[in-house]
Amino acid sequence: MKTKTILTIITALMATAVFAFDPPPVGSAAPDFSLTDASGKTHSLSQYKGKYVVLEWFNPECPFVKKHYGSGNMQKLQQQYTGKGVVWLTIDSNAPGTEGNITPEQAQKIAESWKTHQTALLLDSEGKAGRAYGAKNTPNMVVVSPEGKIAYEGAIDSKATPNPADIPNSTNYVKAALDESLAGKPVTTPQTKPYGCSVKYKSS
Amino acid sequence: MIPASRVIACAIVCLSIFAVLPQGQSQTYEGKQLVKAELLADTNAVVPGKTFTVGLLLRMAPGWHTYWKFSGDAGLPTELKWKLPPGWKIGEIQWPIPLKTIDPGDIETYGYENEVLLMQEITPPQKLDNSPAKLSADVNWLVCEKICIPGSATLQLELPTSTTSEAANTELFALYRGLLPQNWPGSNVASASWSRTGSDLRLKVTSETLANFPTVDLFPLPEQGAVVGHPKIDSRSKSEVVFHIPIESSEKNLSSVPGLVVFSQRPNEDDRAAWQIATPPNVSTAGAAPVRGIFTFLLFGFLGGIILNLMPCVLPVISLKIFGFIQHAGQSRQKILRSGIAFAAGIFAWFIALALLLIVLKGAGREVTWGGFQFTNAYFVLALSVIVLVFALNLFGVFEISLPQSMTRGLLSTTERKDDLGSFFQGIFATVLATPCTAPFLGTALGFAFSQSPAIILSMFVAIAAGMSAPYLLLSAQPAWLRFLPKPGPWMLHVKQFMGFLLLATLLFLLYVLGAQRGLEGAIWASCFLLLISIACWMKGAFITPTASVTTRRISVVLVLVLVLASGIYFISGKFRSTTLASVGSRLRGDWQVFTPDRLQAELEQGHSVFVDFTAAWCLTCKFNEANVLESAAVREAFQRHAIVKLKADWTNGDPVITKLLQQFGRPGVPLYVLYPGKSEKPIVFPELLTRSIILEKLEATSRAVASQ
Repeated sequence: MKTKTILTIITALMATAVFAFDPPPVGSAAPDFSLTDASGKTHSLSQYKGKYVVLEWFNPECPFVKKHYGSGNMQKLQQQYTGKGVVWLTIDSNAPGTEGNITPEQAQKIAESWKTHQTALLLDSEGKAGRAYGAKNTPNMVVVSPEGKIAYEGAIDSKATPNPADIPNSTNYVKAALDESLAGKPVTTPQTKPYGCSVKYKSS
Repeated sequence: MIPASRVIACAIVCLSIFAVLPQGQSQTYEGKQLVKAELLADTNAVVPGKTFTVGLLLRMAPGWHTYWKFSGDAGLPTELKWKLPPGWKIGEIQWPIPLKTIDPGDIETYGYENEVLLMQEITPPQKLDNSPAKLSADVNWLVCEKICIPGSATLQLELPTSTTSEAANTELFALYRGLLPQNWPGSNVASASWSRTGSDLRLKVTSETLANFPTVDLFPLPEQGAVVGHPKIDSRSKSEVVFHIPIESSEKNLSSVPGLVVFSQRPNEDDRAAWQIATPPNVSTAGAAPVRGIFTFLLFGFLGGIILNLMPCVLPVISLKIFGFIQHAGQSRQKILRSGIAFAAGIFAWFIALALLLIVLKGAGREVTWGGFQFTNAYFVLALSVIVLVFALNLFGVFEISLPQSMTRGLLSTTERKDDLGSFFQGIFATVLATPCTAPFLGTALGFAFSQSPAIILSMFVAIAAGMSAPYLLLSAQPAWLRFLPKPGPWMLHVKQFMGFLLLATLLFLLYVLGAQRGLEGAIWASCFLLLISIACWMKGAFITPTASVTTRRISVVLVLVLVLASGIYFISGKFRSTTLASVGSRLRGDWQVFTPDRLQAELEQGHSVFVDFTAAWCLTCKFNEANVLESAAVREAFQRHAIVKLKADWTNGDPVITKLLQQFGRPGVPLYVLYPGKSEKPIVFPELLTRSIILEKLEATSRAVASQ
C-alpha cells in the first residue's frame, strides 16, 4: 500500500516534470516536430538533419515581430543565411481565436506582402512544437546544429524594445551564433532571455 | 448671497487645483482608450531643497496590463526618462508589488492591471526662483491584453514654487506606498538562506509571519544576463518555505537572485505584502568562504601580520633588525624601547599610507588588488631593486649613510633621534618587502576587507601592522629576552657584511621578477642602471667624505647626480621602457598550458576536469607550492592518471582578466588554486599553502564523483 502511494507520487512528479514547459537546455537534442506550411506541405525537423536550422516563433500582430519585419531586418537575415544553406523555419504557435493565429491563406498573404525569405512558414495552432521548445515569446529564436543539437536559444538581439530604431545599435545573437557555428567555432553566447509578446497557446 | 470672500477663497482653491492639475495623455487603439498616463506629485507646491514624490499614474482599460521592473516571460517594463531643470535630482522608480499572471504554455508575467502609480523621489535645488517648476518626462510602456501595443507619451508636471507646501493626492500616494515591498526584516523576524546544487538555486525562508499567510510566492528580479526559470515551492510548513529556482543561463557564479518574497491571503490579493531579498555578496561560489565576523577578520589580520615576519622576503630585514637589537643590547632599556616603537611606527605608517592609497584608488573606481599589486608594476620592482642594492652596498661598507648636516640640525637635535628615524625607515622598508607574501590568513582577511567600507579597510591594515610589529615591540619592551643575545664585538662587522649578501640574494629575486615581466633584455637594462648606481654609491663613499676638500666634494656630488640622472634617462626611460611585456607562454614548462577564460570554458564543454594555478613570478608562496607539490612526481602522475587539464594563469604583470577572476573568488592576490571538476559542478578551491595529500585526496574524490555519474 505504502509503496503504491510512493509510486503514485513519483509518477505525478515525473508527469509535472514532463509538462513543465521549460526550454530544453542548450546542447541537448532539439525535439523533433512535424508541421504543415501554408501550402499544406509537411516539414519535420528530422528531414533537415545535416543542416543548420533556425526556428523563429512568429506572430504577425506582435509589435516586437513587426519591429524586425517592418524594418526588413528579419527578411535580410533569412535571405542571407538560407543563401548559405541554412534552413529557416518560421513557426506560428498561437491558438485559434487568439490574435496572431493565422490560417494557411493568411500565411501565404503575409509571406508575399512582407517579402519574407524563410524556407517555410509553419502553422502550429495546437502549440505542440512551441511547447516542446518552451517557446514563450515572439520572436523566440533557436539555432539547431546539423547533429540536431540546440546551439542557441533566446532573443534575436540585445535590445529588448519594440522600437526598430534600436536595431542598428544592438547585437544580433542569431547572426553571431550562425556565423560562429558556420566557421566551426563554439557559440560565445549560447543562451539569452528572449523578449517580445507571449505566445498565445491553446489552454491544455 | 455668497460673501465675496468665499468667492475669492473658492477661486484661489480652484486655481490652485488647476495649477496642480496634471496634463494627462491617453493611448487609443482602434478607437478605444487603452492607457491614460499622467504625472502627479504628493505636494501642491515645490519648496526649494525639499524632497517630494512624483508618480506616473497609468490607468489601463479593463483586461489590459502594463509590466513590472521584471516583466517575466513576455512584455517590457515601463520606462521613464525625466527632463529636469538643472540642479534637480530624481531617485529610482519605486515599483509596487506586481500581480503574477500565468497564461497557457506556462507563461508567467508580472504586471499591473487597471491602475498603477510608479513613484520616484525628487529633490529640487536649494535655490529656485519664483516661477513655477516645469518637470517633464518621456514615458514608454507596453500594454497587453491578448495582444501587445507599445505606447509612449511626453508628460508635463507644473508646480508653483513656494516657501510652504501642503500634501496633495494623499489617498492615491498612500495606497501605492502601502503596496511597496518592504526591506528584509531583522534576523529575529525572518531569515533567508541560499544554496545551490548544479543549476538549481534554493532559497529557504523561515519566519513566524508566514504562518498568517496561506499564499507565499517568490517574484525574481534577475540581474542583467541571468536567465532564471520559474520559482517553484519545494516545501512549505507553517513558518518555513523553500523555493526552488532553476538557473537557465550558463551563469556559473550565480549563488542568489534578488527578488521579492510575496505573501497574501490568496494569490494576487490586494492585501499582498512583500519583503525585498537583497543580494548577498557572491561569496559562496568561492567554495569555503563563510561570512566571518569583523573581529575574526581583524584577528586574522593580526596573526597574518605576525606571520609576515617569517616570510622569506622579510627575512633579510628581520636579520637587520635583530642585528640592530644586538647593537642596542648594551644601551639603556628606554632607548631600546624607543627604537622598537619607532620601528613599529614605520610599519604602521606604511600600512596606513597603503590603506589610504587603496581607499583613494578604490574610490576612483580602479581595480586594485593586494598581494603585491605593486609587484605587478615593473617600475615598483625596479625601485625596490635600487633600494636593496644601495642597502647591500652600505652593509659592505662601500659608503656610509649620513644625513646632510642641515637636515640633521633641523630635524634631529640628538643622536638618539637619529637612531629612531633610522628605525622608523627600517620599519617602512620591512613592510615594503613583506607585501607580496600573502600569508594564508592574510589572504582571507584582506579578501574580506576589500569588499568593505574605507573604515574597515583601514582597521584591517592597522591590525596587520599591529601583528607585524608585535614581536619587535615585545622584544624592545622586554629587553630581558635580549640578554640572551650575544654581546657586541668585532664579529658584528662580519655579520653586517654577510647581511649584504642576503640582500644581494633578494636583489637576484627582484631581477628574476623583472626578467619575468620584461624579458632578459629588461633585466639586463635594469642591471646596467644598477651598476651605475653602485658606482655612484662608491663615489659617495670614496670622495664625498667629511675629510675630503670642498672642491672634491662639490665635483663628486655633481658627477654622482649626473651619473644617476643620465643612466636613469638612458637605461630606464629609454631602453627599459621600450622592452615589451614578456609573453606568458615562454614561462610555461611541462604539460601546463596558458589559461584564458575561453580556454577553460572550452575544456569544460568537452567534459574535461581542469586545474587552474593562479601564480606570478614574484610570488614566493606560489614557487614553493609549485616546486614541492604541483611538480612533485606523485602529483604530476595523479594529474595525468585522472586526465586533468592543467592551466596556468600568470598574474606577474597584473593581467586585468585574472585580477577580476581572483576577485570573484574573493582573493586579493595569488596564489589561488582551483579545480573545476566539470561543467555543472562547483569549483573546488584549495588553500594557499598546498600539501601533496590535499591535492591527491581531492583528485581522487572528484574522479570518483565523475565516474559515479
